[in-house]
Amino acid sequence: MNNKVTKLALVLLLICAVTAGILGVVNALTFEQIAYNKMMKQISAFSAVLPSESGYTEVPFDGRAFPTVDSINQSNDGNGYVVTSTFSGAQGNITMACGVDNELKCTGISIIEHKETSGLGAVAASTSNKGVAFREQFIGQGADIALTKAGGTIDALAGATITSTAVTNATATSIAAVAALG
Amino acid sequence: MNRKQQFREGLITNNPVLVQQIGMCATMAITTTLFNGIGMGLSVLIILTCCNVVVAALRKIIPEEIRLAIFVVVIAGFVTIVDLLLQAFIPALSESLGVFIPLIVVNCIIIGRAEAFCQKNTVKDSFFDGIFQGLGYTCVLIIMCVFRELVGSGRFGGGLIDITNGFRFTLDGTGGGIQIFPADYGMGIMNLPFGGFLTLGLLIGLMQYALKKGEKKKKLEERAAKEAAAMKEVEE
Amino acid sequence: MSDKKERIILDVAYQPQVRTGTDTRRLMLDVIISLLPAAVVAVLEFGIPPLILMVSGVASAVFWEWGYRRLFKKESSIDDLSAVVTGLLLALTLPPTAPAWIPVIGTLFGIVIVKQLYGGIGKNFLNPALAGRAFLLASYATLMARWATPNSLMPTVDAMTMATPLGSLYSDGGMPAYFGMGRMFLGMIPGSMGEISKLAILLGGAYLLWRKVISWRIPVSFIGTVALLTLIFGGKKYGYGNFEWMLYNLLTGSVLFGAFFMATDYATSPVTLNGQLLFGFGCGALTMLIRYFGGFPEGTTYAILIMNLCAWAIDKAFHRHQFGVNKADIAAEKAQVKADKLSLAAEEAKATAELRKAEAEKAAREATK
Repeated sequence: MNNKVTKLALVLLLICAVTAGILGVVNALTFEQIAYNKMMKQISAFSAVLPSESGYTEVPFDGRAFPTVDSINQSNDGNGYVVTSTFSGAQGNITMACGVDNELKCTGISIIEHKETSGLGAVAASTSNKGVAFREQFIGQGADIALTKAGGTIDALAGATITSTAVTNATATSIAAVAALG
Repeated sequence: MNRKQQFREGLITNNPVLVQQIGMCATMAITTTLFNGIGMGLSVLIILTCCNVVVAALRKIIPEEIRLAIFVVVIAGFVTIVDLLLQAFIPALSESLGVFIPLIVVNCIIIGRAEAFCQKNTVKDSFFDGIFQGLGYTCVLIIMCVFRELVGSGRFGGGLIDITNGFRFTLDGTGGGIQIFPADYGMGIMNLPFGGFLTLGLLIGLMQYALKKGEKKKKLEERAAKEAAAMKEVEE
Repeated sequence: MSDKKERIILDVAYQPQVRTGTDTRRLMLDVIISLLPAAVVAVLEFGIPPLILMVSGVASAVFWEWGYRRLFKKESSIDDLSAVVTGLLLALTLPPTAPAWIPVIGTLFGIVIVKQLYGGIGKNFLNPALAGRAFLLASYATLMARWATPNSLMPTVDAMTMATPLGSLYSDGGMPAYFGMGRMFLGMIPGSMGEISKLAILLGGAYLLWRKVISWRIPVSFIGTVALLTLIFGGKKYGYGNFEWMLYNLLTGSVLFGAFFMATDYATSPVTLNGQLLFGFGCGALTMLIRYFGGFPEGTTYAILIMNLCAWAIDKAFHRHQFGVNKADIAAEKAQVKADKLSLAAEEAKATAELRKAEAEKAAREATK
């Protein structure tokens, strides 16, 4: 009996060891490429809202005061910050990158992930003319950003008040988070 | 073993999705663009073939008691390899398939074939079983993708085909596809999980209908042959 | 010809039942007649487009029904008029600005997928018209939310489309002055074609009640629940008194239309009497949950569809027993059924075991050969 258990364990161990060895080799071969891909993706998402020649550095911030903010990344060019935040939209969470320059004005927003209703809220992230026009409204806005019906200058997307409000509020939060950095 | 028979089984009479009804989770979730469907289908095909070969090769030394544990280790190993390779060389595909590549580890198709086929068959047979079952899976994914994409967004080959500057294939998932009618007229619900359920349900129904019809025909033919044989006997 | 054809007699009530001359065709004809006032108001307020939508809805519904039955070589069922009712109901839930192809797609889903694939009339698990509307709502969100300005508001509101009063009710902006309660009652407001005039709906509902096509239970408990919940919870957040809030909630949106014409569908509502009351309560409660907390302004469609799915379970819960049978008898019967099942399973297991044994023996014999 004891002998049998030992044999089973040995076989399993052998197969696991071989698998682990192969995985180690594959990991070593792909590690650099994967890290490079991740960096390129982040840079392309960030440079869409705040261009930087020399990359970005993450800076610490007060996570308790700004629970929706995921990270604040300072441009190594010194022209501002990119704030990523995750907040709830109409159907689920929205993840967004927002560029903020040194004068605390928004330099652009880019929605990285969302689950909004196709044709309504999803327009906020789409590459269609309507979506681009919606996002362009955010460029140059300050901490007092608001929808038209709340006294601001951002026109809400037709039929997607919740999404529009959420994105607008998140932009205001991003600007406030950068302002709080001092 | 008859290759033709194996081919028929994998693609039609014992199709993993439509007849065995296994591996349906990813089938419903990712069949929104042709790019996703072909990527997922080929990933499963490669992993399935590799696992089949390894399991068949080791079938004499795998102890009965811990076979499932060993299958899972082998499958998880291959899935991780494919996952890493995709992340490194086709990041767009890895991103759009997301968690569904790692989830192939628990995809019933692979462990099902290991348990039901490769344990008892030669490496060569298992290799072809992997190819044909994988092809069967890929075909179903492609049919679902084409249907859902066409009905849902009026498009063909999203992510895979780009026609802005002449026809070309895009492996980075940026192709806009061929717009057959404006996306506004598409039934958006087909792009949601509901569309996956509906399409898969209709496909399974159609498949069973066709199989039943084929069986009936076969039975009739058999009966006719028997009767003819009986007539012959009587005549003799 | 039609005399020879067997007509389906509907069992609309729980036992005991009485056989009457009423058949599906007559019932459906009554429903069509009861929808006429709402249809007339729609044409008066929005002109020709409602007519086109209704014709397209009815024609496509009949076509899909005929086409499916023909394709699968089944007896045609278009002369029971149920497809006409589905098409008309679906058209009446659409905004008047919807393009003419919209009802064609809605009836395709409602008739083919929801009704015929599950076995045709009486076997569908969802109201086909409402299922079609939900399908359209999820697919063409923008087209399904463009509300035309009614003719009677034309001089006041200088725009082709405008927000519905229900939309205004649940927003911070408040209700514009031109939406008076009288106008809401008569139907001089934007909205889905059939839902706008509460007067027309009440007329149609009264006709159905008088003809005994529907019973009072589902509409009364549905509307009563909405009224009660709005009266209790109120709309202070939007600046209304509780009573005013209740009236607004009933006079805007599609609660009345849904309660009389959608929730009362035979195949998808309970047949037990208490079950019908619970069904109506569920519809009302879900509607108000969606209105208060949901992402959509109106929740009637989803509320009724969700309750459709529960109708079977509700009937089971309110199952009535034969006269003179007491609880002990029922328990004994249940125990007997369980015992029967167990013994059947045991027999089956025995049979399979024997079969396995025989197979194994056969294999062994062949091996020794």
